[in-house]
Amino acid sequence: MTVLKRVPARSAGNLGPMLIVAVVVLALYWPLMLWVNAAQAQRTLDSGAELDCMTAISCATQLRNPTLPAPAQLAASFRTMSTPPMAPTSAPYNTLVTAGETLVGLIIASVLGVILAVALVASRAFERITLPWLIASQTVPVVALAPMLAVVLGQYGVQGWLPKALIAAYIAFFPVAVGVSAGLRSPDPMQEDLMRTYRASGPQVFWKLRLPASLPFLFTSLKVAATAALIGSIVAEISTISYSGLGKMLAENSRASDTLALWVIMLYGAALGIALVGVIGLVERWVTPWRAGQSR
Amino acid sequence: MTAVRARSRVALGGALLALGFVLLLLAVWTVWPYALDGVPPGRKALSLGLTLVGIIAGGLGLSAVAARTKGLIPALIAAGLALIAVEALLRAYGVPPGLIPTPTRVMQALWNARSVLLQDARVTFVQETLVGYLCGAVLGILVALAAVRFPFLERGALPYAGLFSSIPIVALAPVIVKAFGLEWTSKAIIVAVTVFFPVVVNVVRGLQSANPLLLDLMRTYAVTPAQAFALVRVPSALPFLFNALKIASTLAMIGAIVGEFFGTEGRGLGFRIQIEAGRFNLDIVWAAIVVASVLGIAFYAIIQWIEHRYTGWHASRRTSNGRTV
Repeated sequence: MTVLKRVPARSAGNLGPMLIVAVVVLALYWPLMLWVNAAQAQRTLDSGAELDCMTAISCATQLRNPTLPAPAQLAASFRTMSTPPMAPTSAPYNTLVTAGETLVGLIIASVLGVILAVALVASRAFERITLPWLIASQTVPVVALAPMLAVVLGQYGVQGWLPKALIAAYIAFFPVAVGVSAGLRSPDPMQEDLMRTYRASGPQVFWKLRLPASLPFLFTSLKVAATAALIGSIVAEISTISYSGLGKMLAENSRASDTLALWVIMLYGAALGIALVGVIGLVERWVTPWRAGQSR
Repeated sequence: MTAVRARSRVALGGALLALGFVLLLLAVWTVWPYALDGVPPGRKALSLGLTLVGIIAGGLGLSAVAARTKGLIPALIAAGLALIAVEALLRAYGVPPGLIPTPTRVMQALWNARSVLLQDARVTFVQETLVGYLCGAVLGILVALAAVRFPFLERGALPYAGLFSSIPIVALAPVIVKAFGLEWTSKAIIVAVTVFFPVVVNVVRGLQSANPLLLDLMRTYAVTPAQAFALVRVPSALPFLFNALKIASTLAMIGAIVGEFFGTEGRGLGFRIQIEAGRFNLDIVWAAIVVASVLGIAFYAIIQWIEHRYTGWHASRRTSNGRTV
């Protein structure tokens, strides 16, 4: 996964248009929902099911498993799934579990990724041997490996949250390695020459020039890696025996065809993804304050 | 003097590398005839020793050779060494094939299940990935054009595209599968949705990256806006478009495979991986992973080839720090 640059979200000038677009989309949602659900409601009515509504349109907002849920249904389902927030079956608790796995995975991935990137930059031969495989691994659909990794790790007794974090780390590790090695090479040749005129030693060039220069790349790839790690931990939860987490909830409710619950879990997953990227953005501002003005 | 020394070092490296290969093959050969749970301890120790020495010799030789050779050769040699070493280790330790199958077993499974895997690959790749990818990319380009044409859309709708790209697609997949059914079309829709956002974000940035000087130049030539668009904005957007298409190609494969985890009509690589992993048939799982990887790499390589074909002019305009002028 190459670096996915982001559009600056929510600068002051965009707020007005963003709100208008949101309102228009919500206004269009209602007729779309009625139109999509009406056919299903009609079929349910025709089958003679006992319903406390008469016409297809009035039933469209009350289907048990609607294709598009009505806002009121979504809100009600959101409320029932979010209270009490720390119950083992509630969505917030499971979101936190997944968030924890993803964060541990991200930390493992960034440590390994930075070590690998340093090795790549330090040794030409190592780079020639491994870099083609690193590039190839970016194009491999890594989620395909998750069920298999889950089986292998499970049989070696690695259970609980650790296999999910490891799978998340495995998926997030390559964007970090590739991004940081690009970052370590990013200093201008002029700057390297300047360091040489200062008679800086190799380690000094590394700590004072290369490492700070790589930080912006690290954070950009961490944002990509965060999304990847989240996908990894959710897929891992789906394909291993899990007792908690968003992936387990997705798998269960998908089997039970509870579409309302699926929508709520999707919203929680989306919120978690956005929150993770937001947290990394905050850390980025804190660690690289010199870029705060231009970090768009 | 130095050239001679360098050449002799490469010759030494080549010899070490050959020695490594021979030792590793010997390590496999010493444990080959035995059943997995019946490797005698002496043979096991011999094989492990041979493997260890073989890896060290091969690794040293490879690093000497890799310092002098370019391209894919060092990587391919490394993969060859690693595969033989894995085969030797798995056989020596008697790891059951239900846990990690040896490379030779995976190759056998690949050959034996080839008709099933080909059918799965056709469903996953041709129908779900390619169709979804094309729809998502075309829609993304159209929306990006609209966003550039109407600044209101750019300011109001584009920030959402950035937000949406941080949503995990796997959370989206079950909802789409439930809404659109179990056929391949629901997976194609998942792929289209995943492809859409990176394409929109990057194409908009690309269209806006046109050099203002060039646009001014166009104005002095009194060209029409349409001509300026076709001659300046589109070429300057192409590198961004191809970057997005490459990102999207890997995301598309992931979307199709994850979508299949949530329901299919019993075909597809993702379905095969999920179901056979549940049955501990890891030979087939690995074979399916190999097929998916080869398809993913080929897909990426084809897009990269098209990129080189149509934006070859661009590489010459790169500055030393890799940014476009």
